[in-house]
Amino acid sequence: MKRPLRLRLILRDLAAAAAFGAMAVSGQLPLPVLGAFLGALVLALCGLRLVARHARLSALGLLVVAVLLGLQLTSGAMNAVVAACSFAGLIAAQRMLSTPDAAADGQTHLTSLLMVAGGAALSGDMTYALCLITFGVLASLSLALGVVEAAVPDGEPVPVRAVMRPLSAGVAFAVAGAVAFFVLFPRLNWAMVGPRSAPGLGASSAGYSNTVRLGGAGTIKGNPRVVLRATLTPDPGLDALDAYWVGRTYDTFDGMEWSNVVGAQQIERQITLRPASDTLIHQRVELLPAYGASTLIALEMPSRLGNARAHSPTGTRSSPVQLRGGGEVRFTVTAPSYTYEAYSLPPDAKAGLAPGLVQAERDQLLALPEHLDPRVSELAARVLQGEKEPLAAARKLASFLQKDYAYTLEQEGIPEDPLSDFLFVRKAGHCEHFATALTLLLRTQGIGARLATGFYGGARMDGGYLVRAGDAHAWTHVLVPGRGFVTVDATPPSNRTSQGSVYLEKLLALYEAVEARWRNSVVDYSFRDQFELASALVRPPRRPRDAPANEAPSRLPPPRAWATAAIVAFIVWRAARFVSRWTGRAPALAATRFLDRVDALLQKAHVPRFEHESLEDLTTRLAREGHPLVLALTPLTRRYLEARFGGRALREGEAEHLLATLRRALDAEAARRAVKPAGQAGPTARAS
Amino acid sequence: MERLAAQLGRAVQGKPEEVRRVVTCVVAGGHLLLEDMPGVGKTTLAEALARACALSFSRIQFTADLLPADILGAQVFHAQTATFSFRPGPLFRQLVLADELNRAPPRTQSALLEGMAQGQVSLDGQTHPLPSPFTVVATQNPVDFSGTYPLPDSQLDRFLVRLSLGHPAPDVEARLLTTRGAASPLPSVEAVTGPEELASLRDFAQDVKLDAAVADYVVRLARATREHGDLERGASTRAVLALGSAARAQALWEGRDFVTPGDVRSMLVPCWAHRVLLRSAVQGVSARDEAAHLVDEIARKVAAPR
Repeated sequence: MKRPLRLRLILRDLAAAAAFGAMAVSGQLPLPVLGAFLGALVLALCGLRLVARHARLSALGLLVVAVLLGLQLTSGAMNAVVAACSFAGLIAAQRMLSTPDAAADGQTHLTSLLMVAGGAALSGDMTYALCLITFGVLASLSLALGVVEAAVPDGEPVPVRAVMRPLSAGVAFAVAGAVAFFVLFPRLNWAMVGPRSAPGLGASSAGYSNTVRLGGAGTIKGNPRVVLRATLTPDPGLDALDAYWVGRTYDTFDGMEWSNVVGAQQIERQITLRPASDTLIHQRVELLPAYGASTLIALEMPSRLGNARAHSPTGTRSSPVQLRGGGEVRFTVTAPSYTYEAYSLPPDAKAGLAPGLVQAERDQLLALPEHLDPRVSELAARVLQGEKEPLAAARKLASFLQKDYAYTLEQEGIPEDPLSDFLFVRKAGHCEHFATALTLLLRTQGIGARLATGFYGGARMDGGYLVRAGDAHAWTHVLVPGRGFVTVDATPPSNRTSQGSVYLEKLLALYEAVEARWRNSVVDYSFRDQFELASALVRPPRRPRDAPANEAPSRLPPPRAWATAAIVAFIVWRAARFVSRWTGRAPALAATRFLDRVDALLQKAHVPRFEHESLEDLTTRLAREGHPLVLALTPLTRRYLEARFGGRALREGEAEHLLATLRRALDAEAARRAVKPAGQAGPTARAS
Repeated sequence: MERLAAQLGRAVQGKPEEVRRVVTCVVAGGHLLLEDMPGVGKTTLAEALARACALSFSRIQFTADLLPADILGAQVFHAQTATFSFRPGPLFRQLVLADELNRAPPRTQSALLEGMAQGQVSLDGQTHPLPSPFTVVATQNPVDFSGTYPLPDSQLDRFLVRLSLGHPAPDVEARLLTTRGAASPLPSVEAVTGPEELASLRDFAQDVKLDAAVADYVVRLARATREHGDLERGASTRAVLALGSAARAQALWEGRDFVTPGDVRSMLVPCWAHRVLLRSAVQGVSARDEAAHLVDEIARKVAAPR
């Protein structure tokens, strides 16, 4: 049997690795499978085909794994798609490690295809697409090399280099063509079954939680992933937004956990929380997959929320929203990402009495947990020293907390009474502790207050603002009679926003920007986008409002349409010329490349040669002249002619051998020539 | 082939290159046109060729009053049997020397040319096959044009190779004077091969491999002659085929079983120079040299495959 080409096997294994990577980027494959495949890949790349001799044993092992996966599947511990993908990966690993015959090659490629399909079911984001393209390129090269290898007779060298260059060009052309196809042809939404993870960096980080439970470490503060992007009108134009993005409020605290008395209410397209004022801040918000929850977020204080659209891999559709307790508005459709609109009152607007509150909620504003530590109330009284005005009291308490308490994210263990633990034992905590403490301290003094959660801040990006998971925050709403709820934040100001490393944040911002562009211009790029792009190109420019009305609007497309058409025509023309030239050029043959090397050697040695004199002619001429080089050149020329025109290819290493002989002859010739002038120069030198 | 050339070399001394061409042409199965002034050994060469190959030989001296029947043969009436029978003319030989071909009228010329092209003779509705191998060596005098009928281009096309011997080098001429005197060199030529061997040589030549790149080279050369501004008419398809078989024979001469671009180049001028028609109206020697020069120039411009 012929020894298979090593390069082809490496390409095949790398293609399988890329296909496996297409599944692995979803982050849903079990770790043992990942480990097993990586191990097999390393072994295969090293050329250690371990199971070549134990094919049956390994097949039995695969059977055991299949049974194990089946058990996991029936017990509900594993998803069917994930199990199938894992098994495909293991089969590919086994095939990679077995004897590299034609059947194993075909099966490896087939399982790679299956893995790619599995990857499409698991995730469809940018990293998947990269893996897919890598797989396509590597597998094409490997398969094409296989065809060439089969066509070359036994014992002949495979012209890898001669094949690889046109092959690579062809593959590059195919990829470019695929991209062009992608951009130009009408798009269909792809509906994939299977458990899709959130796109991007894997599972969502739940930057926003459904309940607030005190205790535990606040790891969320270090998470730099972007959860929300918003465009504000009017645009405040600030680099860093000093604003609270509220998601919901809580009114009931049981000593450990915050919750609401009122549950789900009506479902509508749009929910009005507060009557609008004259000046509203309009927000167009995009919730990214990293958000992971289904609560709408808006700047304080939200007036109206709605017009939501849910973006899922199966397409975009509008989502009605549902009002829940605590002023929370939720999407009714589950999707990785959403867009919606919100209107908020400006921070200085007077909202009147707290609107939209039902009586049960109103009653809860002063409720205290059953077993509240009596020291809490004493502390509040001591700090307030008789201050009864709600806002002033709240500010006094907040500054007391900011001054005397430290901010920390490290929270070891879960104390029985987190509040008194924070206030009297550790005297350190994070925003939830500060906000809960302030709310409860106020309530003990008969001042209505509730906990609000959401995000704080907003970094400028592309004319809008983005909020990170680490910006998740909790604060207090104080009920001020005649003014409604007023925000008071007990957390030290420097600790309100994201606490992640700046470097990581920047890196992530870059990734998120690329990823968002990928999602907008690739995954969610639809026929409508194509149509809009095309119509934007050819639509005549909008007439400025102050233009004279008697000027007839031009029906001609704008100059940019002509310019684009010219550019496209130019590109097409260049591409056509390139392609025609490429196909018109004969591929460089091994013998021709050998000839090039001979020519280069001869030129370096300054062998006299006429213009356009072929090696054949040169050898004939030198033979006529009785040149000493002929001895080396004649067999070489003969072999070249045989290889090029006689159909007897150069054997492996023969070219090197012939060239070495020629080199030696050239060196000897040079030495001979160097001696001759010296001998001639000798007597003349002596004579002078 | 080497032996054949050695024998021819005995007869025509000092012309190894031309002798090689002659042998190549014969091995390629083509007809030969020798075009030169009188007295340089054209006839001797042809006769030596016939001797060396042990071919049946006839020499036809073309004159202005030569009729087709004089070369083809005629139906002869037998009085005893009262039937006509065909008496073959001098053309029915394996090697025919057509001396001073351009002196015969076109009718006679074309009678010869039909035989050259078809390998058979049609006479009175009957076809008579010519012997095999059948080779014509024609000679022409390019200097003296008075009373000649120049061969039309279509007929020149039938000759595979046109050669001119030229005067021998002075030393060779001097040696001829001293050693030979007036004695004919022909008796010294020995038969080294027979018709059968020649036929098998021709088969070998036909089996010589012609690579696609070389074929492309030949075609490109042909196209270059067709597109050249100074040429009224370029190489025909027959010329392309002729060059191919000449190059094959040349490769066989070199002891190879495949054709190289060098083979094509070396057979290019003898094969094609007489087949292209110049735009200028010069005739005779200068036209011949001009055409050879032009074809050579074209070959320089067309890149050989590497």
